[in-house]
Amino acid sequence: MDLVLVGLNHKTAPVEVRERIAFAEEHLQPALRRLQKDSDLQEGMIVSTCNRVEILAHGQKSQAQIVQSVKDFLYSYHTLKPPFLEDYLYSYQRGDAVRHVFRVASSLDSMVVGEPQILAQVKQAYVEACQAGSVGTYLKDLIPRAFFVAKKVRSATQIGASAVSISSVAVELARKIFGDLKGKTTLLLGAGEMGELAARNLLDSGVSQIFVMNRTPKRGQELAAKLMATAVPFEDLETYLIRSDIALVCTGSTSLLLDKSRVEAIIKRRRYRPLFIIDISVPRNVDPQVNDLENVFLYDVDDLQSVIDANIRQRCEEAAVAEEIVDKETVKYMKQLSTRSAGPLIHSLRHRIEEICLEELRSNHKNLDPGEYERLEKALRSTAHRIAHPFIREIQQVDEDPNRRLHKIQLIRKVFRLDNDS
Amino acid sequence: MGILLFNSAFGFYVLGLLHSVAAFVSKQNKIFHRIAIVSVGAGFVLHSAFLIYSAVEKGSLPLTDLREALTFFAWTVSLCFFISHLRYRIKPLGLFLLPLVTVLMLGTIFIKSSPVPEILSSSWIYWHTICLFLAYGMFFITFIASLLYLFQERELKSKKPKTFYYWLPSLVLLDDLFYKFLISGFCFMTLGLLAGVIWAEQDWVRGWQSDPKVIAALVTWGIYLALIYLRLTAGWRGKRAALISMIGFLSVLFTFLGARYLGGLHYFP
Repeated sequence: MDLVLVGLNHKTAPVEVRERIAFAEEHLQPALRRLQKDSDLQEGMIVSTCNRVEILAHGQKSQAQIVQSVKDFLYSYHTLKPPFLEDYLYSYQRGDAVRHVFRVASSLDSMVVGEPQILAQVKQAYVEACQAGSVGTYLKDLIPRAFFVAKKVRSATQIGASAVSISSVAVELARKIFGDLKGKTTLLLGAGEMGELAARNLLDSGVSQIFVMNRTPKRGQELAAKLMATAVPFEDLETYLIRSDIALVCTGSTSLLLDKSRVEAIIKRRRYRPLFIIDISVPRNVDPQVNDLENVFLYDVDDLQSVIDANIRQRCEEAAVAEEIVDKETVKYMKQLSTRSAGPLIHSLRHRIEEICLEELRSNHKNLDPGEYERLEKALRSTAHRIAHPFIREIQQVDEDPNRRLHKIQLIRKVFRLDNDS
Repeated sequence: MGILLFNSAFGFYVLGLLHSVAAFVSKQNKIFHRIAIVSVGAGFVLHSAFLIYSAVEKGSLPLTDLREALTFFAWTVSLCFFISHLRYRIKPLGLFLLPLVTVLMLGTIFIKSSPVPEILSSSWIYWHTICLFLAYGMFFITFIASLLYLFQERELKSKKPKTFYYWLPSLVLLDDLFYKFLISGFCFMTLGLLAGVIWAEQDWVRGWQSDPKVIAALVTWGIYLALIYLRLTAGWRGKRAALISMIGFLSVLFTFLGARYLGGLHYFP
């Protein structure tokens, strides 16, 4: 009886390989049923995203057998010839498999560490597996635990706190300057796609008003309508720069739109209220020297990227803390699992000792009156419990060495002839 | 009893400081931060109890010599810390404020108590000192806010964010903290100076106009007045305002600590 995880991810396999063994969402349930039937497994779950394909399997066979049957399934399902996948696949057993599941759900194994989508993807995979009927007691316990661990990692560390995409980092920086974005105004200059995306992100983050300004007014009006914004004429650039807090510059222009002296005049008329200029146009439309002005914060594409890089480094630092949490949770889970798996054994041990104690009484109770019989029975039952107690403690005690524990359990089974019970 | 209250307050402040440092050094700073706040809270309550106890014991407010002044100043700084914590929840604030509180408390332990001069029996002295110490406490918050503002501004200008970028709140929030405490500090300073003038006039103190501490205080008051004036008229804020307020605070330090060595009316042996 064992838990095995077989799979590949963005680190072990290129996209050409990943795409060939990916499972489309609508094919997941039939695939799971086939996996269960073909490979003779108790339980199974498939996580298939653009960065990973992983199969979690729980079966009665040995580890090596389960791994082999899962691999066979992958080859036959995707009509591939062995050993096509051998270089890319990894496999984990038992505790390692549990740890891997925890790490994946906590987004520690993701391409961008800490990205939040993976948890939703694992949740979806679990739902599919539940619907396909391939989830039994084992996975029903493990997977929700993985969600719990992921949640714990997220709340105890800053792993997902910082932004790692251009448009989200723009929002993050705006928040570092203005705090709450409610009541703030954004001027979108140009109708580039990146600008639109960033503007949309700012809008979602609470920015109250957006002005759209474009050289060709028609295009500007279209975009304004899409963003529920106000289109304003290109000639009024200065007026609207004075009114806005954030300027998103994303035009196709090849010349500078804003130079230092122009922005200096604007900032003075703004009475030095901070102005955040994001210049995502290439070639740049704002003179880099503008950043030297007081209370003006100018970021171009490279600057945004350097913040992203710093954020990723920060996420990696947080990931070290997260790994510790995952390790602790894995050990805890494995301990619980081994005590829980001892449940049936403990039950039958108690039962057996009670039986031995009561046997004598039952065969010789004829000359006892009922009151006396009841008293004796009660006393014997408690004796049985007392005898059983040290054995139960031995079973429940978690040993560092799993083999020793196994040996102990086997000995107890043998002594009390418990083999046929469980 | 008084000693016990004082020492336990001091102990809690130190505990708070240590946990603020631990929160900064460790990455999981939530728990440390919470312990720090709770310890400083306990310290503040005990400290207040100590002040009340000493006042009752002495029959007057404990404000008349340097030793008592330092204790009271420590109390105002920790009061300001609480007000700003409740309003702004800026985590690194404790890291900067608590060392001063601790040093002031420590200073109190080493300075001997001195007898009270006759002249200091008027009730105006209390208003004079209480208002000025509150003002100094608030100016200290302004100073720290400026410092944090400059840190965050540098992070944002450099475009290579490091620790402070992640830890500090937004510029606008720091500016708000700065401005609110600047205004309230200025109001208290004005009241404190007025109380001093009334006291001097009432008691026929001669030559207070040329006392070094009075002059230093007026210079400080002038710097802060200019800062507020420039903000209201020309919109001076951000880096410039932060730098001026730091000069203002240096002037506060000189007024508070330096001017007593120049002799004059405020010199007490």
